[in-house]
Amino acid sequence: MLTVEDLNAGYDDSVVVHDVSLHVDDGEAVAVIGSNGAGKTTLLRTICGLLPARSGTVVYGDHALLGKPAHSVARLGVAFVPAERHLFPRMSVQENLELGAYPARPDQQQLERVFELFPRLKDRRRQQAGTMSGGEQQMLAVGRALMARPSLLVLDEPTTGLAPILAEEAYASLKVLRSEGTTVLVAEQQVPLALDLADRAYVIEDGRMQMDGQATDLVDHPDVRRAYLGIA
Amino acid sequence: MAVVLDGVAYGLQLALLAVGLTMIYGLGGVLNLAHGQFAVVTAIAAALLMDSGLPTLPAVIVGVLTGAVLALILDASIMRPVYRLQGENRVLLSLLITLGVAFVIDGLLIYNYPFTALNLNVAGPAINLLGVPMRRGSLAASLLALVALGVLIVFLRYTRRGKAVRSIIEDEEGAQLCGINPSRIRTAVFALSGGLAGVAAVAEGMTSSLSATDGLNLTILALIVTVVGGLGSVAGALLAGLLLGIVYSLATFYIGAYVTFIILLVTAMATILVRPSGLMGRGA
Repeated sequence: MLTVEDLNAGYDDSVVVHDVSLHVDDGEAVAVIGSNGAGKTTLLRTICGLLPARSGTVVYGDHALLGKPAHSVARLGVAFVPAERHLFPRMSVQENLELGAYPARPDQQQLERVFELFPRLKDRRRQQAGTMSGGEQQMLAVGRALMARPSLLVLDEPTTGLAPILAEEAYASLKVLRSEGTTVLVAEQQVPLALDLADRAYVIEDGRMQMDGQATDLVDHPDVRRAYLGIA
Repeated sequence: MAVVLDGVAYGLQLALLAVGLTMIYGLGGVLNLAHGQFAVVTAIAAALLMDSGLPTLPAVIVGVLTGAVLALILDASIMRPVYRLQGENRVLLSLLITLGVAFVIDGLLIYNYPFTALNLNVAGPAINLLGVPMRRGSLAASLLALVALGVLIVFLRYTRRGKAVRSIIEDEEGAQLCGINPSRIRTAVFALSGGLAGVAAVAEGMTSSLSATDGLNLTILALIVTVVGGLGSVAGALLAGLLLGIVYSLATFYIGAYVTFIILLVTAMATILVRPSGLMGRGA
């Protein structure tokens, strides 16, 4: 479904991501794990068209994504939930969700599905998005991304700014989505949560892929345990 | 009471003049110093058409469309380099380019049509409103402004396109992630703002007259309203327009027309000192 090959990307004066390759198959949940500043955000933002790439290819279905602006990538069915969420703070929860379906008319069935997944959003549908708590805003960001019925859901650090219990809740809802067959690519530094969700994972450090494998294998890998799980 | 009503009438026109400016700023981080010139182009086009024998209504409609088309052409041509920049640089370049555009438009119009003015005489006896006799021209202008602002608000609040416009003002990256193309919407809103400036010119033509030399004045008025209301806030522009309209009217009545402009500027400064981001600006 998504294939990234030899991707180099970064900002004006520095390359952050070096020769990264990864793939996500249909129906799979894939995690990119690594510490803060490892290049996870740059990698996802480049895939989703928010940053230009230096070189490499990103193919999604039949489409080459590199060079496409973010709104075109979104319309192809890749929904990105950035760590900063980028909600519309002075618009209602309902309006935020409706815009997720743009340019289509908001789909009532899908709206109900989002409300089923996040009942809190239904209670607060008239509230301004910016006045909600961090956990609720995270739900809204995921809900908005789901409104267009994306075929690939890309999340950058969905636990950003959340207390541990809320972070676990966030991953619990991702697991529900996962079980319904949504394809997920998630970048995360809270490694245990990510490995619990994912089928496969890639470890990225200093902008380079260090290793990859089945999530269940990585959990037991001594390097991963030492670096990310705090277990010697 | 009469003074306040006059102020409300004038305030509606000010708001109409300013909403386009504030929307463009909110959407693109572009401060358009040629905004008043859109109004003047509309006025001159309508006046010339009327001089050539076209009835008022079609002349005015073509005039407003001229303002909108001019804005569209500007956005698609000379504004392109502006959109390639970000943040502060974008605002600065937009100021320089639109100031240049304003000079060119002013020069052309003042040179070619020094004596043309849009003057839509709305004749007839005064009409009583809440026991206050109001000039027909003033009422007609208020009504036009109310309708235009009402349509704009309904568009922004209830239509999908309108919500998309607001979403870009709120968070451009969030909008892109929803599949909204900011540059396309920005172009449409630029044209809309040209058209709204044109409608403001028509309203102005109903109460007094508008000629080729008025562009800069209108731009400054629109800027004051926009800054007081909060850059990028449509609701703020409405509120600030009404507030400043009433201040203007009271000042003219009690002090005299010669200092009203100064009083408007002082009001603007006072507002900004108390609330640096304007009445409805974010972060206030």
